[in-house]
Amino acid sequence: MKNIIRLLVACAALASAAPALTDEPSAEAMALAKRVVITTCGTCHGVQGNSEQPKFPNLAGQSENYLAAQLKAFRSQTRGDADALAYMWGMAAPLDDDTIQALSTLYAGKPGAHGATVTNAALVARGKTLYLEGNVDQGVPACAACHGPDGHGVADFPRLAGQHAQYLLKQLDSFQTNMRNVAVMHGVAAGLQDGEIRAVTAYLESLP
Amino acid sequence: MIITLNRKQWLTGAFATLALALQSTTALAVPSFARQTGMACEACHTVWPELTHFGRVFKANGYILDNLKQVRGISERKNELLSLATLPPLSVMVQVSDTQLAKPLPDTQNGSVAFPQQISLFYAGKIAPHGGAFIQLTYAHDSGGVQIDNADIRFADILTTETGHSLVYGVTLNNNPTVQDLFNSTPAFGFPYAASSAAPGVPFGAQIDGALGQNVAGLTGYVYLNESLYTEVGFYRSAQQHSLPLDSTAAAVLSGLAPYWRVAYEHTWDRHNLSAGVYGATFKLFPGNGQALTGPTDSYKDVAQDVQYQFAADHHLFSLQATRIREDASLDATFQAGVGSTNLKNTLTTTRAFATYYYKRRVGGTAGFFRTTGTADAILHTPAGLEPNPTASPETTGWIAELNYLPWMNTKFSLQYTAYSRFNGRTNDVFYDGSGRSASDNNSLYLVAWFAF
Repeated sequence: MKNIIRLLVACAALASAAPALTDEPSAEAMALAKRVVITTCGTCHGVQGNSEQPKFPNLAGQSENYLAAQLKAFRSQTRGDADALAYMWGMAAPLDDDTIQALSTLYAGKPGAHGATVTNAALVARGKTLYLEGNVDQGVPACAACHGPDGHGVADFPRLAGQHAQYLLKQLDSFQTNMRNVAVMHGVAAGLQDGEIRAVTAYLESLP
Repeated sequence: MIITLNRKQWLTGAFATLALALQSTTALAVPSFARQTGMACEACHTVWPELTHFGRVFKANGYILDNLKQVRGISERKNELLSLATLPPLSVMVQVSDTQLAKPLPDTQNGSVAFPQQISLFYAGKIAPHGGAFIQLTYAHDSGGVQIDNADIRFADILTTETGHSLVYGVTLNNNPTVQDLFNSTPAFGFPYAASSAAPGVPFGAQIDGALGQNVAGLTGYVYLNESLYTEVGFYRSAQQHSLPLDSTAAAVLSGLAPYWRVAYEHTWDRHNLSAGVYGATFKLFPGNGQALTGPTDSYKDVAQDVQYQFAADHHLFSLQATRIREDASLDATFQAGVGSTNLKNTLTTTRAFATYYYKRRVGGTAGFFRTTGTADAILHTPAGLEPNPTASPETTGWIAELNYLPWMNTKFSLQYTAYSRFNGRTNDVFYDGSGRSASDNNSLYLVAWFAF
């Protein structure tokens, strides 16, 4: 229980401390970003920000601040999960702040995924409970506390609704092993069992 | 790179079989692309040299994606005039191999170690704001010298619409039909990616199937619509072999321009990618080799289909490639000379299909079959110097199984077994010389280590 309280406090503190959005990207950067989205990012993430391949995350409707923070983390090589190294470190290296902001604005402004068709209702129901209520016995807080009841994200906390389960599974694994070194999520993911991870990611993938 | 498992020697009357696998060049991905993009091999390859969808897009766009510090030049209106990496995108590939035949070839020692089988130097990467190059220089022990290997120099740009559609368009200058193609189901970058230079290879193949590699220059234009529909047309022309201008000492010299065409469509969904296409070319060749480069030509019309399926999950990767090449030959020059072929018209059909599985991109294998059939032609298909045999046909059938281990992404160990059920149209006495060598005597076990850095 103490863990949960600690996490929720951290969560609230981070949310309240979220900086205001950075300056509007320049028109030149927006024009460049529109082209880069089609010619480069879109190949994996989809031109509309909804990826055809579950290995690559959907970006449409994602928190603008979160997108910018991740691109900067890739650029500075501080996000260390395997796919970040293999793909995004190189991709983000030449981006300047203005372009990062423009790309984030563009993808954040696109309509998010509709949510996948539910194929295992029991699994999704279990995931929903875990997402909304957490698991007190294991010290797992409700994901909704930070990511919002609808999974659309809050401030810097990313949107999870409609995200590919395969991608989310890999991220939770990266948080558990600290390859993706985020203290809050390491604390949350550490208490999750494999079955719970499958359930909550299936639920999130189904959310519109 | 191309494994020229097969090369036609019928124009010269020499018999390819006895010349062993004529040119064991190697298909490869190159670390200089990783150096340039900052991305690991897996972004562009399932396991090299097989391209992922992203790899195909990278190639179509002219190898220009980069994250290296550039030396730049711009005009007064900010048009880019120069964009060069401060360090050139160079790579080296070394291949060491050992080949064991089921039965040694006459008067040879079995167990052939090639150290190196091949060493290649690549320039592979961006050369201009919208231009890139993949150029390979190779030293191979069987040629005994350094020669130009595959080369693909291309310009590309992209048009986009507000609604998110894209059209990549480009031009490629290359020296091997299909080396510029995006799919691993066409000959130049098709399986097997390495072949022994000490084992007999499939003796007859279509012109588009590697026979003209490095002896031609091609200029083709292509468009790639929405990263799905790929179309390409262009022409090939003979380039220098040993001297310029080309004369009658050269072999298989193109008369004029040979048209090349290609259409393919690919679709990506979930973890799957499926592509299907057609490609072909028409070559009019002077036999050369002592015959003047004038008068009638031998005409080869090649039409082929190909299909590729790829499945890529985090741990499991599966792919399937298949192609069927049909060649209609009208040997007006060779036939009229009266010594090169029995028939005026011949057909040749090659079919190959291979399936590959990898676990975590580290351990995997490929299995598949190959089959070439065609018209029996006593003169063309009987080894030179022997009495032409009316039953001599190009039919060669077999299968390949290969195991691979990659301790690191840029190092591969392959153990390849090739088995023939028919060779040169026969199961026994496949060299037509009464020695009684069977098709299966040509079976080979080939161990090859690749280092690319």
